[in-house]
Amino acid sequence: MSGGGNGGGAIAATSGGGGVPVLSAQGLGRTYDGYIALGSFTVEIEAGEFVALIGPNGAGKTTFLNLAAGLLDPTSGGVEVAGEVPGSLDARAALSYLPDSPVFYEDLSVAEHLEYVAALHGLKDAGPRIDELLERLGLEGWEDALAAELSKGMKQKASIALALVRPFKVLLADEPLDGLDPPSREVLFELLAEIRAAGAAIVVSTHRPDVIAAAGRCVAIRDGRLAYDGAPDPAVLEQIFDRSELEGGS
Amino acid sequence: MGTLLAAPDPVAAMKAMRAARRRRYVQRADVMEVLYRVYLGGLAAIFAFAFLAGALHEVPADPGSIADIRAHTPAVLGLAVALLVLAGLRSGARGGPLAIEAAEVRYTLLAPVSRRIALRPAALAQLRVGIFAGAIFGAVVGNFVFRRFPGTAVEWIGALAAFGAIVPIAVLGAALLACGRRLHIGVASAIGVLLVAWSVLDLALGWDSSPATMMGDLATLPLQHGVDAALAAVGAAIALAVLAAGLLGIGSLRLEAARRRAELVAEMRFSASVQDLRTVILLRRQLASELPRRKPWLRLRGAAHNAVWRRDWQSYLRWPVVRIVRVVLIAVAAGGLAVAGFDLTPVLFALPGPLLFVAALDLIEPLAQESDHPTRRLLLPFASAGLIRRHLWAPIAAMAFVLAIAAATAAVASGNPGLALGVGAVVLVPMAAALIGAAAVSATNDPYEFALNQQLALFASLGPIVVALIAAFVPLFVAWKVEGGNGARVSGAFGTDIVLLILAMVGLGVLAWRFDKREKEAS
Repeated sequence: MSGGGNGGGAIAATSGGGGVPVLSAQGLGRTYDGYIALGSFTVEIEAGEFVALIGPNGAGKTTFLNLAAGLLDPTSGGVEVAGEVPGSLDARAALSYLPDSPVFYEDLSVAEHLEYVAALHGLKDAGPRIDELLERLGLEGWEDALAAELSKGMKQKASIALALVRPFKVLLADEPLDGLDPPSREVLFELLAEIRAAGAAIVVSTHRPDVIAAAGRCVAIRDGRLAYDGAPDPAVLEQIFDRSELEGGS
Repeated sequence: MGTLLAAPDPVAAMKAMRAARRRRYVQRADVMEVLYRVYLGGLAAIFAFAFLAGALHEVPADPGSIADIRAHTPAVLGLAVALLVLAGLRSGARGGPLAIEAAEVRYTLLAPVSRRIALRPAALAQLRVGIFAGAIFGAVVGNFVFRRFPGTAVEWIGALAAFGAIVPIAVLGAALLACGRRLHIGVASAIGVLLVAWSVLDLALGWDSSPATMMGDLATLPLQHGVDAALAAVGAAIALAVLAAGLLGIGSLRLEAARRRAELVAEMRFSASVQDLRTVILLRRQLASELPRRKPWLRLRGAAHNAVWRRDWQSYLRWPVVRIVRVVLIAVAAGGLAVAGFDLTPVLFALPGPLLFVAALDLIEPLAQESDHPTRRLLLPFASAGLIRRHLWAPIAAMAFVLAIAAATAAVASGNPGLALGVGAVVLVPMAAALIGAAAVSATNDPYEFALNQQLALFASLGPIVVALIAAFVPLFVAWKVEGGNGARVSGAFGTDIVLLILAMVGLGVLAWRFDKREKEAS
């Protein structure tokens, strides 16, 4: 387990164990009543990698992230998080998931959410980390706000803070820039760079060219199958997808 | 809530967070409003209790009846328990019985904290409510039963309260077990059906072998001696063991099912909070994946002389198996409860009505869909009220069939088929009309129509249920109360037809007024 760190710095990411991929899927598949959402998907992601997960709507990106987070059960193949089965205590400690739609306890404030998540992950003295995240994400003054009082963008920022306040070896983020204004996007890019520098892996599901360009690796899914795995080369990607498929989705 | 950061470990943080949320909830609650509701509820309960106690004048049962109750009631109750356990197992296989907040899944269940520890408080809270409600209901029935049978008030009230408490323990335990063990819905159903079959066998052969029958022994404990009394303890122990196993394994639940359930239950709670029974029913069907059959059981041939009548039967002919089974079981349970009312205490006559109301809500579905789609309805070249009225005939015919099953069940279970079939025959159609009228009023209720007047909104949503309760209670109670042979009792029940027809006419009147008003508002 990677929990139980101290509260210094905004990013609590840690590097993965030597030699073991932080995220590994082997022949991973998921079907819904015969419909193949993800079929025989194989990928390995090492510590410190920044991977852009791309593909048109309904390609299977969110299904893959949910399978890796342990929110879905595979119908074939398997996935491991830092060598552990998703949903196990060690896998939960190693993986932080930022879903596409933020969810909150309706009766807890932003600060209370952050304190709770930090405490759940055994962080001691998380106060400075929480303060720094609130400040950098522009949530200062909103610490005591309930979810119902937040705009869509503010909710997204709070959700990002909740994903980053805890220690992790791999961060899965589903469309994390959705709803963010340009300054907030820049802050998020800075935070992602710090996570990578700290040795954790990042997998971002996205349609945005700026995220794809910032990533060191691009994994493309189409119709539930791996369509491309390599450097984010625009020329190659345009051979696989229409430009509208990469930029137009939600 | 800065205290969370001072929590020594994640489990302590979880407990501190929940304690803080509870405190906040209590602080925000309107204490006077809660007290007022408790006061009103208590007052209504006292009046009902006093009325029933005064009206019943129950006479001690004869030795033959006592022997009959002693021999057969545990198996009958056991069968009911087995059916509830079957429902619990199926609910567990679909991710129930817990409804976990989406945030709880996202933050707590994805944190490196034991899910068993995280989920236990929710399971225990649900259990507490079930045990409390079951024990209270059991104690109330026990208070009436002891007047007719050997044994003291304390023994009967205690035995029936214990039975009322053990039923939710068994049902929730089975659901938790199925959920934690990730049982496939087919496997869960098979286990439940086996238990039901075992209980049916007990009932048919006069055995006391199924765990459910043993739990039934608990309800009649003051009449049981020797081995049967010991078996009641075995039944209770089995229920507790199932619960313990369920609580131990709940940490292995499937998050996928839990998330889906959480979303639907949150919507259901909101709908229930605004007394929107129709939406609650639709969401419950989604939760149970209860979809109409793509291929009907029987394809209707020939020309459509009456399009509405035909459309309604087409709807019934696409019912999934689970809905057919539910309605048949409701009919059987209603018949069984009517017999139990005659044998044990007429207080039980209060139960068939609300049960049959649930079946009526299923039968009224085609009419409810007409109400759900006002634009389609308003484009038709005739008045909405007339269309709605035509939608009542098929449900009334189908409801009469359901009541016939209930009467047949009572005839088999009572040992006096003449009385059961006679009462059934004379009230069949008027009772079906009253029940369908009540269900139609409920299903077409607009929950926001009286949004500014909570009392009126509550009356609009509870009224149909009360009407259904009265529609079943009155004929049964009169048949029980009248002295004399079967002929006198049947003619007593026949005399209540006027009450049932008035209830049906009131329902029809409300529907006509409601749809005329909506049509005027739309134009």
